[in-house]
Amino acid sequence: MENKERRLVSGKGQFVDDLEFAGMASLVFVGSPYAHAKILRIDVNKALETVGVLTIITGKEIVELTNPLPVQADLKGPGWIWRLPKVYALAVARVRWYGEPVAAVVAEDENTAREAADLIEIEYEPLPFVNDVVEAMKPGSPLLYSEWESNVQAHVKFDFGDVDSAFAEADRVIKVSWREGRASGFPIEGRGCVASYDKIMESLTVWGSFQTPFTAKHIFAETLGMPEVKVKIVSVDIGGAFGNKLHTWKGQVVALASVLTGRPVKWFELLREWIVTGPHQRDVVWEGEVAIKNDGRVLGLKANVIIDLGVEGTNRGLGTMSIIPACCSVPNAYHWKGMHVEGYGIVTNKSFYCAYRGYGKDKGIKFIERVMDQVAREVGITPEEVRFINFIQPDEFPYRQINNYTYDSGNYPAVLNKALELAVVKYCRERQRELTQQGKYIGVGMAFTIEPAGIAAPNTLFGGMTEANVKIMPDGTVEVNSDWTDLGQGAEESNAIIVSDILGCKIEDIVVPPVTSDWIGMGPLSSRGAVYIASAVAKAAKMIREKILTCASVFLKEPRENIDIADGIIYSVDDPEKRLTYKELAQRVYFFPGPRAFPKEVLLKHDHLLDVTTTWYSPNTAETGSTYTTFCSSADVAVVEVDTQTGVTKILKYVHVHDAGKIISQEIVDGQIHGGVVQGIGEALYEKLVYSQNGLLLSDSYSDYLMPTATDSPDIIVGHLETPSPFTELGSKGMGEAPIIGSKAAIIAAIEDALTPFNIRVSNSPATREKVWKWIRDSQKKSNNEVT
Amino acid sequence: MLELLVRCETWCGQMRNFLGSRALPNFIYHRPTNMEEALWLLKNLKGECKIIAGCTDFIPAIRRGAWSFSDGLNVIDIKGIKELSLIAKEGERIRIGAATKLSEIVRSPTIRKHALVLAEAVREMGSLQVRNFGTVGGNLCTASPAADTAPPFLVLDAKVKVKGIGKEEIVPLTKFFVGPGETILGSREILTEIQFPAMKPDEQHCWIKMGRRNGFTLSVISLATRVKVKDGVFDTVRIALGAVAPTPMRATEAEGYLIGKEKSAHVINEGCKIVAREVKPISDVRASSEYRKDMAYVLTKRALMAGLK
Amino acid sequence: MKVPVRFKVNKEEHKLEVDPRTTLLELLRNQLKIKSVHRGCEVGDCGACTVLLNGEPVYSCLTLAVQANEAEITTVEGLMKDHELHPLMKSFLENRGLQCGYCTSGLLMTAYFLINNLGELTEEEIRKGIEGNICRCTGYMGIVKAIKAAAEGKNSGNWW
Repeated sequence: MENKERRLVSGKGQFVDDLEFAGMASLVFVGSPYAHAKILRIDVNKALETVGVLTIITGKEIVELTNPLPVQADLKGPGWIWRLPKVYALAVARVRWYGEPVAAVVAEDENTAREAADLIEIEYEPLPFVNDVVEAMKPGSPLLYSEWESNVQAHVKFDFGDVDSAFAEADRVIKVSWREGRASGFPIEGRGCVASYDKIMESLTVWGSFQTPFTAKHIFAETLGMPEVKVKIVSVDIGGAFGNKLHTWKGQVVALASVLTGRPVKWFELLREWIVTGPHQRDVVWEGEVAIKNDGRVLGLKANVIIDLGVEGTNRGLGTMSIIPACCSVPNAYHWKGMHVEGYGIVTNKSFYCAYRGYGKDKGIKFIERVMDQVAREVGITPEEVRFINFIQPDEFPYRQINNYTYDSGNYPAVLNKALELAVVKYCRERQRELTQQGKYIGVGMAFTIEPAGIAAPNTLFGGMTEANVKIMPDGTVEVNSDWTDLGQGAEESNAIIVSDILGCKIEDIVVPPVTSDWIGMGPLSSRGAVYIASAVAKAAKMIREKILTCASVFLKEPRENIDIADGIIYSVDDPEKRLTYKELAQRVYFFPGPRAFPKEVLLKHDHLLDVTTTWYSPNTAETGSTYTTFCSSADVAVVEVDTQTGVTKILKYVHVHDAGKIISQEIVDGQIHGGVVQGIGEALYEKLVYSQNGLLLSDSYSDYLMPTATDSPDIIVGHLETPSPFTELGSKGMGEAPIIGSKAAIIAAIEDALTPFNIRVSNSPATREKVWKWIRDSQKKSNNEVT
Repeated sequence: MLELLVRCETWCGQMRNFLGSRALPNFIYHRPTNMEEALWLLKNLKGECKIIAGCTDFIPAIRRGAWSFSDGLNVIDIKGIKELSLIAKEGERIRIGAATKLSEIVRSPTIRKHALVLAEAVREMGSLQVRNFGTVGGNLCTASPAADTAPPFLVLDAKVKVKGIGKEEIVPLTKFFVGPGETILGSREILTEIQFPAMKPDEQHCWIKMGRRNGFTLSVISLATRVKVKDGVFDTVRIALGAVAPTPMRATEAEGYLIGKEKSAHVINEGCKIVAREVKPISDVRASSEYRKDMAYVLTKRALMAGLK
Repeated sequence: MKVPVRFKVNKEEHKLEVDPRTTLLELLRNQLKIKSVHRGCEVGDCGACTVLLNGEPVYSCLTLAVQANEAEITTVEGLMKDHELHPLMKSFLENRGLQCGYCTSGLLMTAYFLINNLGELTEEEIRKGIEGNICRCTGYMGIVKAIKAAAEGKNSGNWW
């Protein structure tokens, strides 16, 4: 049985762009050239006359024929603001960001559609735009939604523990701040789908680069006004997602195109369209104060975060909700007496907000890690000392953190110690002292990350549902179904490992079909693959193992307790000659002799089928109300050299130590670590979406939105510890997001450490070459008392 | 890979629709096999003509809507003209055909021996894939201010040969660039080769490229130098920079200051300050003018200080 | 006006008439149905479309099909021997050189060229050689390991 990686390496991937159907037409989106404008007139006549153009869809058709996109999270709480705009799949009457899709051209082939697109005449009345959150919050700022009083889409407030007495007990209070530039994942493969509407059966099938087929089905059905039973979503091979493909917006227009033309319709976007109209993330401004003791113990924190949501984060995708984990993840791995955290989600004329690895948890954690470094500097201890002093200790688990998350298990001091050892921090600091004398600036930086994984959020499309199915087919192959969409993170392989471990079958005999909307679930977002889905699959496998033993005992004429399974053979422990292969058992169960061979007890219990479908829910969430189930921990240590004349940062050493609970596959986990760390490095040093004076996105390609190439990526030293989670079936913990969080913070911390002689606090990212150069110059001017 | 200074977003006065990736125009393809044929085509073809060799600038510019051509464009592919794809040393003179692939320049023993600064610069251009198809002439004719082949050619005192209908002239490279994306080439002229004297054994060179990341990146600033020091005194000095002015440029004032002076830390410092004053960078999405000016100083200093005891 | 072209793709000869504005990428994928060559950006920024043109890696999105006249083009399909994986591909599997697989076909072609032409490869040379192939999933660790192992395998004769 060919596994997925073998298929991909042979070039036999089946990505969206590879799909071909008879009579397939091509759809191309046409977008706004303005950041904010009224649409006065759309004239499609010339475009429609082009030979080969089948139809053109504009906002007019969308409003007539479809419903607004369903809201994905409605989280109004007491004292909170939570505003929900009405959003259709195409712009209606107004465009709110540069590139926002205004029309869709459907033609026989892509080139024809592209050429016709230029013939569409659209008259706009440009409006004043706003693309800075501070400006957007000022009274008198251009409003994105005239029915709203302001550009605040969400305002949330959290009080944890007792923040007032925390501040009352403090020896000092330090002001803290931290900013992150706008960034997102933008994997090499953009979004795309093929929609095919069957006029006779009135049913729709959509094949796409989709992370969440079941949720997608709901959204497509709602938008198109179809019964969900008539909609099927199939995930094809996905060229990277990282949360960016959690949403399926734009696909609904493609589906409508298929309904209107009666043909299968393909849309596939290339990188530029992906970056300009895709889901954006990060882009946060934190301000606050931390209350501490003189020995470095942290007591309390008051902080605000402002997130730039672009046009919105509740309809096209699920970004606004990330404000909540942004606020709640702040306590991280430490003891706190109290916190007050407020979050603002502000709308501006930029692309919408959705998910990117880290989602919202990354925001709080990166912020607090910068705060911990500042505390260390303030009281004169090392960054590792401040963390050791404040860590939750190994004997305190399960630990109810002040944010109401219950941390399952961990050994934070051991994880950090191992990282410090692997990075040889002591030696690096000695070298640092020597090299400073020679005018060379080395820095050691670190970060500690708790990754809340496995989200179950109320009043959203992401409340924690999952379903797993395992069945043995008559030919002895084992089919495993779940909502674990394979994005390249080894989902299919993990499913196979879990099932073969429990069932004792051969891994080559396991088939994991592509995930479709036939199975209920949320998809592998929030690192829930190792939490919910792995647990559900393990549970299903354990349940079917019981059935296999029951059936085998009938055919082997052995008591159940005497039967074991290994390497695909079901055998009697006492007399191994009494054995059946999976195929032999299945043949007997299904056909020859079939169910008539079972004793009546088995048949009356209807327990004769080799098929189990089950679900799983987090006991942590159920018992403690913790939104997340598992909390893996990791430590990142980075050693860098900063060229203080040019601002260039060179990574000399990089260490990541991880506790992901019981690991399903170390190679898969290592791959996730490598990829996440390099993404974090990209965010720390290069990645930022930059806008022009006119509100147009300037960094709209891989030439300007710069990701690390192989020459920008370090060798990464990885270490592992395992403290199993008591809350999942296998003890595994979700771990895919921690690497991108800690890496960015560690690199920034290392740069700050290298620049200690210049007395620079790095509260801004990315730390691009020019930025670092500027900070150094500004600090030199200050010390020379020059006017900047 | 795309070199772009000005976004061409207007179309008949209206803002052009945003389209992720545009179709290439319908064009008529010509592939002359020799220069006579190429010139004949230029003389007789009606309508717009565009000369291409590799398409590493042509295609991206159209996809992004920066360049646009009407249907019926004549595309003249000069990659097939053998005489335009050569690297030769004739006496002390090196000739490089305009359609020579960048990767040929990196590995050419002639260039590595007699113009290593050029090989070093080209090695850091784009990526392997770009160098295997892009050409040296294409890089010069697209005339981005950040063209990486330009500074090495400028310090090598290169001249370019331009052929047109009934015309052939040799132009110093210093006169070739007119503005961002603009050269002296008329619409019916072809850059056919670049010539320069081989470097002397007693000359030192330096190439420094700075981008926003380590690999596969456009230059924020690039620097080439060619220096001969005789008895501790600067005898020959050429300093050329890219991405710091409307065109690739020579820092002639700094050169003039340095020649005849003793090679010392103080002199070099003063000379580099002059370089920083001579450059006229703009601020764009890649870098600010202040950063570029300072880097002009810092990098030139590093280049000239090399080997100084 | 269509232009006749003739070239070999994975050793198979093709004679076609192409619209000159067709890129090599479009021709390989749409006409010859060689789907291992992937579209990422169409502007030569990502490397997913890398193929070997006369043995050298190029971006097929930046090459006009007509410019490949008389050329020999190799894609991932051409590295396989019937159904047997090329040792380089086996090395990518063994060393986790891929995750989502989208950049992989292009990377394999660049890696194939590097190993064939640069002999003993240091890590630095590998990283510089593949700088024009962006990978967002693996952080390049598995890729570098896979290429190094394959280069060593070539030295012991495990190659074609």
